[in-house]
Amino acid sequence: MAEDNEKVKSALEIALEKAQKLGGMSSDEKQKLKDENLESVGLALSKRYLKGLPVRDVEIELGKYKEDQKTIVTYLLSYLANEIDMGDPDGAERILEAINHFAGAPAAEKIGSLLNEYRSATEKAWQKNQQTLEAAKWRELARLGISGSAIKPAIEGSPEWVEARQQLHSDYQKRLEGIKSSLQAL
Amino acid sequence: MKLVGDFYAYLWPGVTMQEMMRYGNNCNSYLVANALPKSKHILVDPGQVVNETRQKCLDRLISEMKKDGLKIEDVGLIINTHAHPDHYGASEEIRKMSGAQVAIGKEENEFLKLASGEMSQALKSMGFEMPEIHPDLYLSEGELRLGKDLVAQIILIPGHSDGHIGIYWPKEKIFMGGDLVFDGSTGRVDIPGGSAEALKASIERIAKLDIEYLLTGHQYSSPGIIKGKEQIKHNFEIIRREIFPYL
Repeated sequence: MAEDNEKVKSALEIALEKAQKLGGMSSDEKQKLKDENLESVGLALSKRYLKGLPVRDVEIELGKYKEDQKTIVTYLLSYLANEIDMGDPDGAERILEAINHFAGAPAAEKIGSLLNEYRSATEKAWQKNQQTLEAAKWRELARLGISGSAIKPAIEGSPEWVEARQQLHSDYQKRLEGIKSSLQAL
Repeated sequence: MKLVGDFYAYLWPGVTMQEMMRYGNNCNSYLVANALPKSKHILVDPGQVVNETRQKCLDRLISEMKKDGLKIEDVGLIINTHAHPDHYGASEEIRKMSGAQVAIGKEENEFLKLASGEMSQALKSMGFEMPEIHPDLYLSEGELRLGKDLVAQIILIPGHSDGHIGIYWPKEKIFMGGDLVFDGSTGRVDIPGGSAEALKASIERIAKLDIEYLLTGHQYSSPGIIKGKEQIKHNFEIIRREIFPYL
């Protein structure tokens, strides 16, 4: 309990300090500080959303900020979009739900179809390279004296495949970044 | 320690309770010397680099191998019976020292993917830190030919983990079973991927093999190697009678 009081005091002190400082700030500095606060609210909300906070509860939280809602939503979407993993389209679903809700269906569909395109391009590249890479691995293993029906070459980690995948990832990541920028401009 | 022919055993101390307390957890490692071209060795279950009691497990393995005139740099293939860190943990470190190929069960690799993703928190809470591993080859049921004339059967023995493999050397009548059975007990089945029913079925399958040396994954207050057909048969009987009802 005593510790809690200290925390409360400390938070209060910090608030008072900030208020005192505000008096000596220029309007630009005040705006910067306000933006930083709104950004931290957007970040916190995005983290809570990713942990399972329902979108309606995000709306309730946003309701507390009235005229600053739009700015917070921009930060929220920006952080959520940064959490999109090109290699994990299933994991991106929840993020797309939020984008759909706050930025509208076209933005979410754009990202969704890019992720599907990436997945399909990766699968195609895998099919194209798989046989060649497996044959090369079989040759390498045979040279090392390792063979038999129990073996399945593991080629996902082969330098050639890692390079091919990284190239694909980098190409699609650039396109994703473009869409993310358009979210920030909302 | 030389076991028989080119087979060596490096047992992690733990036969007595005092040893278990002092040395903490790590697996037994087994080695087949000069099995591959250029006198390269096969190492089964390298164990950890450092364990929970800060024991330098890998340093100890290297030093024990040296006593037998074997160098870690000459390991050409690492076979991991399953994807638990106390068995596979040092794989990548040894690869750096030797350039060895790293093998693990195909299904076990699926567990590794989950372990680095959605299952990571659950595993951490059970004390599992999962070191990196990048297999060069997967192993599943079938024949493994090594060098000119060495043949092993890879047998899928799920139960302790889903993609657990055993390595049976029919000519030498040696079975390396990881955490399937120990002297008087079995591997645990409460870790994600474990299954009591699968473990029982795997044990019954292995009990039918002609085995002279049963090499287990740990010395949990009991010897790590069970020698002799009759002793091995007796061990399976004890497990059926004393352990199966509680699994």
